[in-house]
Amino acid sequence: MKELFSPNANPQRLVFMSMVAAQAFVLLLLWIFYPLQLFPSLGDVFRSLGSLIAEQGLIQELWASMTTALQSIAIATVLALLISYLTALPFFRPIAYAATKMRYLTLTGLTFFMALMVSSGHEVKLSVLIFGATVYLVTGMTSVILTTTQEEMDHARTLGMSEWRAFYEVVVLGKLDEMLEVVRQNFAIIWTMITLVETLYQSEGGIGLLLYKQNRYLHLDGVVAIQLVILATGALQDYVFVLLRRVFFPYSWLGAAK
Amino acid sequence: MTPYFYKEPVLTLDNVSMSFNGELILRDINAQVLDVVRPNMKQGQVVGFYGRSGIGKSVLCRIMAGLMAPTKGAVQVGVAQEPVKPGAVGFVQQRYPLFNHRTLVDNLLVAAERKYNPAEARQQVEAYLERFCLTPHRKKYPAHLSGGQRQRAAIAQQLLCSDHLILLDEPFSGLDIAMIDEVKKIIVEVTTMDELNTVIIVSHDIVTTTALADRLWLLGYERDAAGNLLPGATINQHHQYNLAEMGLAWHPNVEAEPEFAQFVENIKEEIRASA
Repeated sequence: MKELFSPNANPQRLVFMSMVAAQAFVLLLLWIFYPLQLFPSLGDVFRSLGSLIAEQGLIQELWASMTTALQSIAIATVLALLISYLTALPFFRPIAYAATKMRYLTLTGLTFFMALMVSSGHEVKLSVLIFGATVYLVTGMTSVILTTTQEEMDHARTLGMSEWRAFYEVVVLGKLDEMLEVVRQNFAIIWTMITLVETLYQSEGGIGLLLYKQNRYLHLDGVVAIQLVILATGALQDYVFVLLRRVFFPYSWLGAAK
Repeated sequence: MTPYFYKEPVLTLDNVSMSFNGELILRDINAQVLDVVRPNMKQGQVVGFYGRSGIGKSVLCRIMAGLMAPTKGAVQVGVAQEPVKPGAVGFVQQRYPLFNHRTLVDNLLVAAERKYNPAEARQQVEAYLERFCLTPHRKKYPAHLSGGQRQRAAIAQQLLCSDHLILLDEPFSGLDIAMIDEVKKIIVEVTTMDELNTVIIVSHDIVTTTALADRLWLLGYERDAAGNLLPGATINQHHQYNLAEMGLAWHPNVEAEPEFAQFVENIKEEIRASA
């Protein structure tokens, strides 16, 4: 018990899991007995969740958003990797630098330009998401590349590797696990953007639009239910990414502090 | 005294100077490592460069390994005395880097494949794993290797793709007595693998370096006529020692000999004088 409050302690798995369960239980109790009643009750949220699934096609809408999110993150990842890896060539460094600064552009302002450039609403939605995710991914990925040390590059060079081969070995292969981590962290941004984008282009529905409608009609229980669904999806998504990292990059965790 | 004679140079530092942002770090360094031959002995050699901490030894290492061009002068390697290029000299850096995303056997294979065809590379790797007592650890990632295993793996990796010259930057730094003995054994092992193998130790450990080497160069500062320190570390002509000629090379347990202790003491005095 004492070690739960000791800095850098490593409690036993059972102790740690019991602590997590207790914290979740306390949270649940707080929710049930919250005195101000501003927050919808647990029962109301569950009832609303049932109704959203049965009557408003929550699962289908979630699937629609999920496929759009996956499509966007896949394309954005390829683009971001390309832009980041090209920073090996000084010519492309300003492009990557500019891409990282575009994080500050607002999506609402962008949709107008995207609408002029592409034909369908779906494409606008997709291109906005891809743009938004790419600029965040490039920021994370270039930071990972910048952690490459002189020692790492020298090591590859002393083995007689050419500059490109050394870059491939040290940066591309050597940091692929960290790139996956960047994608995992930034996938969450897609979910925050998707709810916004779906309200701008309502023709294809999606969980974002459903959330918008619940908000608009002040169905707080519905809003909480959808948020919880998004939260659970995100947690599952995170878990899948961690699993992928463990399977494909088993060395990735070996040097981590315990 | 063991009979020996010198053949062609295998590494030449020709008037090497290095500056960073106008600050002179190394100045006019001249040194030549010659291939030493001992009749009836099939063993390579060990030479040492000694320098105090922060004097620019790692910079000198990077220059000798072809990873950095000197501001002035040149480095030539091999029997043909060609300008050094990265990969021409095996270079084991201080922290024994390996590719952390590859298992030990893959680390060695990626090096061996630079020089051998895939089938030969596998054979070579197996032989090195055996020789360096690393076979039981072949499937481990570098993060799972001990410091000693990691060092052996890093040396093996460099040997697999270099041509007889191997440069070790501070191989004894931060090691205990037992580990130093192990590293010494590895270095001797490397020299016995091929009579053309030359191990260049760059270190601030004067005793261990002197005990292993048959030539020693002392990196230090010089003073002008007024007694002021001149910028940039160098090797003056009085700081080049032929330990073979002095009868201090190739003896087992040379450290126990009074002549060796006396020589080390003299070197320490030289170092103190140039500080």
